[in-house]
Amino acid sequence: MINIKFYGLGGQGVVTAAKTLSVAVSIYEGKYAVTIPAYGHERRGAPVYTDIRIDSEPVLANCFVYEPDIVLVMDESIREKNIDVSKGKHHDTVLVLNTADGSVARSYKDAYGFKDVFYVDATHCALNNIGLNIPNGAMLGALAKTGVVTINSIEDALKETFGEKAGVKNANAAREAYEKTEKI
Amino acid sequence: MAGYMMLDGNEAAVQAMKMAKVKVISAYPITPQSSIAEKLSDLVSDGILKAKYLRVESEHSAMSAAIGAQLTGVRAATATSSVGLALMHEVLNVASGCRVPIVMPVVNRALVSPWSLWCDHQDSMAERDSGWLQLYCENVQEVFDFVTMGYRIAEHEDVLTPIMVCLDGFFLSHSMQKVLIPEQSEVDEFIGDYIIKNTYLDPTDPMIINNLTSPDEFTEMRYQQKVGFENAAKVMDEVFLEFEEKFGRAYRAVEGYRLGDAEAVIVSMGSMSGTVKHVVNMLRSEGKKVGALKIVSFRPFRNDLVNEMLKGIKRIAVIDRTAGLGSQGTPLWHEVCNSIDKASSDVIVKNYVGGLGGRDISIETIKKVFADIMDDHSQNRSPVWIDVKENAMDIRQVYINV
Repeated sequence: MINIKFYGLGGQGVVTAAKTLSVAVSIYEGKYAVTIPAYGHERRGAPVYTDIRIDSEPVLANCFVYEPDIVLVMDESIREKNIDVSKGKHHDTVLVLNTADGSVARSYKDAYGFKDVFYVDATHCALNNIGLNIPNGAMLGALAKTGVVTINSIEDALKETFGEKAGVKNANAAREAYEKTEKI
Repeated sequence: MAGYMMLDGNEAAVQAMKMAKVKVISAYPITPQSSIAEKLSDLVSDGILKAKYLRVESEHSAMSAAIGAQLTGVRAATATSSVGLALMHEVLNVASGCRVPIVMPVVNRALVSPWSLWCDHQDSMAERDSGWLQLYCENVQEVFDFVTMGYRIAEHEDVLTPIMVCLDGFFLSHSMQKVLIPEQSEVDEFIGDYIIKNTYLDPTDPMIINNLTSPDEFTEMRYQQKVGFENAAKVMDEVFLEFEEKFGRAYRAVEGYRLGDAEAVIVSMGSMSGTVKHVVNMLRSEGKKVGALKIVSFRPFRNDLVNEMLKGIKRIAVIDRTAGLGSQGTPLWHEVCNSIDKASSDVIVKNYVGGLGGRDISIETIKKVFADIMDDHSQNRSPVWIDVKENAMDIRQVYINV
């Protein structure tokens, strides 16, 4: 079983990203997923998170993820908002980060001790392909680099979630992000 | 051919109500039920569901309208949560007393005060004596399946009792999961058209029902409801078996999980039951002899099955997502205690309160309950608040005129 935590800001499509990942692995890879959304007093721009568990067997646990195997961060500024994205991490936990700056990715790796950091400028990929600063689809492309899901499944799930027209644009953003993702 | 859909709990409830071809919908939106009211409205306005959608001004009206509509001979739909269910309280008893077999998803959310949007079971527990059947769901597949089976159980001529299908707010209502949805024709075959089997209303020939009933008949009418509940137990078992035969998924009113040779068992309801099973598997792999008992049907409560399945188990932990204030224990604990043969005095049935107002019942919380029940030496049998913080008595205290 793989435990994943997504962090982002309200409006970045964090919950939608978790649902899309759930579609990708459940429908296109024959696995099982449970999303555990944390609804609260969110507003646009405030830090939000959501959890997802993925397994080849039906997922029984229905509670929040406290020890993530993968942490995905959609906005590099999140650490300035009193959020510790390394909370509960273990020695194999990896980070997927939205940043244009390799030195920021390096500082996340050094400061928190993630095993690997996958980073890409997902905001740029989103603006480039969908014309909006909503990096969720692109971040799923970066997530595919960890091997938890294939980029093809992500593209198919994005088309299903967003419909043919917006779906293709989001899938293109994911593909571009996938190809540009660096690992350190 | 049945096919997989990705649905959250609310969407699964809507899908089941849609496939049951409800003809009148009267729902008042309330978090976390809102998307049920909204999606039913979309289905009607898009012409996908041929039904009349009534925009009512409260849950009291929602249930009243549903009762009136269903009495004319159609399936009526509504759904609610928390204070919405509390506002329905008066009319819930009208539905059950008039034997109107409405199927209603209840998205479990704490009652106020303190104000909360999040999950616990106090809302539906407060209605446990309102004459409704109550099923509790572990996952989103169960939401679809229990709503679908709910029509068969509630509408059976020997039952004619409304049913709440309870799903945990957010943990199920907003959790997306893969759900196997049958073909419309299969659902049609399974639940059939709605047929009036008791009191009815004819709009072309209006009349008054639910009239004043004297002490001379009141007791007998309540007794009829009691018999309805007794019949519901048998009908439910039959419907579960028929469903299994047709759709391949096996359900029971009480589900045992790895009970063979178990020495300690957690009894639970709702979404936490999945987490309990997960922890049972973890502890079993460490050689610990633990199991789980999931209560699907809280009303009627199946003391026969609980007693049989817990036979020989000495350490029983009962977790409730409601406080049971002022009582010796929480509602589920009382039921379990009274189900077990009194002969064996060495059986410990311990009560745990947790997961109130949206507090997560985590893997760690469940482990803590197992550790506590397996190492219990105290004589104190008052409920253990398993996840309360140490500062409980220090927060939000207002001192005035002390």
